[in-house]
Amino acid sequence: MKTTVVGSYPKPKWLLRIVEMYKEGKIDGKVLDEAYKDAVKSVVKDHELAGVDIIWDGEMRREEMTSYFTERIDGFKIYGEVRVWGNAYYPKPSIVGELRYREELAINDFLYLRSVTDKEIKVPVTGAYTIVDWSFNEYYKSKEEAVYALAEVLNKEFRELVKVGANYIQIDEPAIPTHPDEIEVAKNAVETMVKGVNAYFGIHMCYGNYEAIFPDILDFNVDQIDFEFANRRFEDLRLLKEYGYDKDLGFGCIDVHSRRIETVDEVKKAIYMALDVVEPKRLYVDPDCGMKLLPRDVAFEKLKVMVRAVNEVREEIGE
Amino acid sequence: MKVIATVVGNYPRPRWFREYLRKVEGLQKDLDVEIEKDVLRRAISEVLDEQRRAGIEIMTDGQLTWHDFLLTIASRLEGFEMDGLVRYFENNLYYRIPIVKDKVRRVGKILHDFEIAFDIERNLKAVLSCYTVTKLSKNEFYKRYDDFLWDLCKSIKEEMKELESMGVRYVQIDEPSLLYVDKSEIELLKDAFRELTDIGSETILMTYFDSAEKIFPEILDFGFDVIGLDFVEGYEENLNIVKEFSFENINVGIVDGRNTKMEDLGDLKEKFERIVSSGNFKKVFISPNTGLEFLPRVKAYEKMQLVSKLKEVIE
Repeated sequence: MKTTVVGSYPKPKWLLRIVEMYKEGKIDGKVLDEAYKDAVKSVVKDHELAGVDIIWDGEMRREEMTSYFTERIDGFKIYGEVRVWGNAYYPKPSIVGELRYREELAINDFLYLRSVTDKEIKVPVTGAYTIVDWSFNEYYKSKEEAVYALAEVLNKEFRELVKVGANYIQIDEPAIPTHPDEIEVAKNAVETMVKGVNAYFGIHMCYGNYEAIFPDILDFNVDQIDFEFANRRFEDLRLLKEYGYDKDLGFGCIDVHSRRIETVDEVKKAIYMALDVVEPKRLYVDPDCGMKLLPRDVAFEKLKVMVRAVNEVREEIGE
Repeated sequence: MKVIATVVGNYPRPRWFREYLRKVEGLQKDLDVEIEKDVLRRAISEVLDEQRRAGIEIMTDGQLTWHDFLLTIASRLEGFEMDGLVRYFENNLYYRIPIVKDKVRRVGKILHDFEIAFDIERNLKAVLSCYTVTKLSKNEFYKRYDDFLWDLCKSIKEEMKELESMGVRYVQIDEPSLLYVDKSEIELLKDAFRELTDIGSETILMTYFDSAEKIFPEILDFGFDVIGLDFVEGYEENLNIVKEFSFENINVGIVDGRNTKMEDLGDLKEKFERIVSSGNFKKVFISPNTGLEFLPRVKAYEKMQLVSKLKEVIE
């Protein structure tokens, strides 16, 4: 049984101000870079203090999970932002040319994180299916074609990541459950992304109807599937049982949409429910999703509760 | 045959207005705070001006405060409570799902933003919805769906009457959910829509996101003056509809409102000619197939320009 995180962590307020100052031209890139590094160190410290086993850098440099990548891949262009709901917007990219690998996407972040911690590291990258689903397609004849082209680009990044020492990659694909009819395309894309990459692969999905992607999702060529369970009152564990789930399980058991801090007992209870489905060695306990929208102290407390719960369960089952 | 350039409904908010809303309303689910009327007026007049400059003849107010797309209508009626976020058709857009908790009633103006726009610009159409609002809401109050539909229908009709008395010439009813209707509901819907369309203003039915095969020919008895079809998503099927059934006035949704790709004008012209030569139309509105809020603002503007350029080349 291991503890981990999905990816993002609240950004320190001072970092947001420094990013703003950089955009206004008040400070240079060197100062900004130093700020990012300090922010990563503070995230690492929080994760270490909480006792999380497998960590990431909190995505301090990523403003958004689509555009961060598309800005670094040839063939994408961003004309502006579009609304998702209410007053929330995101810079929706357009595919305007052939998608090609241009520069590293997560390698520098990985290397820096490696230099400041001895912890195991997981590298989360938004998957090809989700990035294309959240983009306009002006260039490819079909969505499918665009997804496969992007999968090749990400495959190259993953190969490079392994070369520099990464061994655990998480493909974030929240768009998959929103289009169950295209699950074959998503599956083929995963096949391409992991091709020839000697790493442990997880796939993370949130917000969607899991019922619609079972049992097809079980055929994806990954070692682990990470679901959100807390947000859905752990009801989906039923699906895993029903279909004889046999991969490693990323077990989202902390609600990232609520500021209420879970009790150790309720998290323990949830973990025992998961252990009813998979053996301890197949269980990766984590929050439902990235924690970036929570206040920093709340996120930290939630992580501590999660680790405490895991430790108590470990003791109780003699792991 | 008369051709009129128009748009479907929503339009990207001006950046400054977006920032203003974010400041006064925040990012959470409890939106709908009172916003200053003169600020809203300034934003609306900017959007109207943009439509005018692009060559749009019948405009909309841009639905700048419609946080929940068509479900905004529910948020402005008594009887509904807005709850968690739900995906809006096949789009990466979310609305708060309206839950019916009490008898649905119109207690005040629904289209208060339209009123501001109408004060500035008369070549304007009001946009409402009825069936789609019932279908995308969760009913926890009415025992019979019919009663829910009729109460909503009554509220919408009240609004339409008030619009008529203001001198509004065009009222558009957006009904994307009609494209997925269960045939057993059609008789009930016919009565409700005949009630809605029994009014002096010209009524336009707008459908989008799919083809309209399921509602033909029954829809022709619903009393609409104009029928709007999506020729981006449902081109082949809707072309067959035009060939098979005869109606006088059509809204041809032909420019893709959900992709930043700019269509070739020659291709659009060819497509348009194939559509209109398959029917016998007196009046043809041309527009994007959907509202333009799916696009970044710069592209939304270019799409409107494309609609008016199309009008130029086909005349």
